[in-house]
Amino acid sequence: MSEENNTPVYNQTTVSDSAKLSLKDLMIPLSIIVAGLFVGGGLYFGGGSTAPVAAVPAPNVPQQAAEQADNTAKVAEITAEDHIKGSLEAEIMIVEYSDFDCPFCSRFHDSMNQVVANDAEVAWVFRQFPLEQLHPQAPAVAAASECVAELGGNDAFWSFTDGYFAARGAGDSTPHNVLIPQLATSAGVSESTFSECFESQRTVELVQDDLNNAVETGGRGTPWSILIGPTGKTYPINGALPASAVEQLIEVARQEA
Amino acid sequence: MLRVFARVFRKPRYSIIAVVVALTVMGAALLLPNKNLLVEVLLSESINLYSKVNFTFSLLGSITTNFSVFSAFYLVLVAIMFGVNISLLIYYIRRRQGKRTDKKMHLANVGGMVSAIFGIGCMACGSIVLTAIFGVFGSGVFIAALPLHGVEFGLIGLLLLAFSIYYITKRTDDPLLCKID
Repeated sequence: MSEENNTPVYNQTTVSDSAKLSLKDLMIPLSIIVAGLFVGGGLYFGGGSTAPVAAVPAPNVPQQAAEQADNTAKVAEITAEDHIKGSLEAEIMIVEYSDFDCPFCSRFHDSMNQVVANDAEVAWVFRQFPLEQLHPQAPAVAAASECVAELGGNDAFWSFTDGYFAARGAGDSTPHNVLIPQLATSAGVSESTFSECFESQRTVELVQDDLNNAVETGGRGTPWSILIGPTGKTYPINGALPASAVEQLIEVARQEA
Repeated sequence: MLRVFARVFRKPRYSIIAVVVALTVMGAALLLPNKNLLVEVLLSESINLYSKVNFTFSLLGSITTNFSVFSAFYLVLVAIMFGVNISLLIYYIRRRQGKRTDKKMHLANVGGMVSAIFGIGCMACGSIVLTAIFGVFGSGVFIAALPLHGVEFGLIGLLLLAFSIYYITKRTDDPLLCKID
């Protein structure tokens, strides 16, 4: 065996090496920056929303529309046909696109109930945005709520809606086919007329129209809301904000008026 | 491992770095869902500074409404581990400037942090970043197809972050020697 083979081989680290930062040492900070850029880019090119996204069956709405930065001005005009808590003439309108089976919509429902209870100049408009892929029964609940509105009016709609979110928010897992008729009759709608409406599916189109408008305005998850200020300026609200944040936004909208 | 933690975080600089990084991660996760709104409010000339600050802080309250118990817990955990990871990493790099660093450690670190970012989710389901990347229609399908509906990324991220912290502390504890191959 040669002498060369018996000679231990030492690492190439030298004193002078230790005085400078190697490229490998910079790899992690660089990787973190790249990861940050990747995340930021993803968020930016994703249309600015970080809300969770369900596959929204909205074939009539080009996807490009949803990807633009701010389409909130495309919110469908608020009319007396809408489900409104508060005055149609209120200074501030908050249009919420909601999914009955989304737990975060349930929380935002509580926030909005607080907001409208504390401020008479704020009105809350409820529109449908059922995310069928996440919550398979949500479109049916939405259609049922529209039947309740058609048969019992605005107050009956809110009685049904408040009751549904309160039940689900409290962890009530009563099956849909039991809870829905229960709440409909509690809201003052007869079970037979409700069943006739629900089975006819005549309210499905109303739900689809709301859903299309939600996507068109930039909704990418639920709850998705648009605050309309005194001047008509629109502000997007992504997700379930606490009542205090909504109230702060209302103050901001008033300052901009 | 605890000895390394004590050695690193005894120095206020590294504790401050960990806290700042953790708060930044948490703040970003809480504010990003409404970044368009936030930018609009912050850039508005007709809104006073007091209202801007109040509004920004009020959005942080969304951790109670916009996150499930699991995702809020996960966010806090990831933020803390992220902060600790960065702090340990800076300590390690400064201590070993010029030395060859370990490839496995690099991979664990970057992998852990990226996976954890992917795993941070809020609202109805899944991941902030995946949502942004896969767009309106693709993400729901993708997340729904996963066995745990996107929680996988969070769990992998946590494991990698934990491994990364363990590995950095282990490497930090190694004596600075020129080893014989």
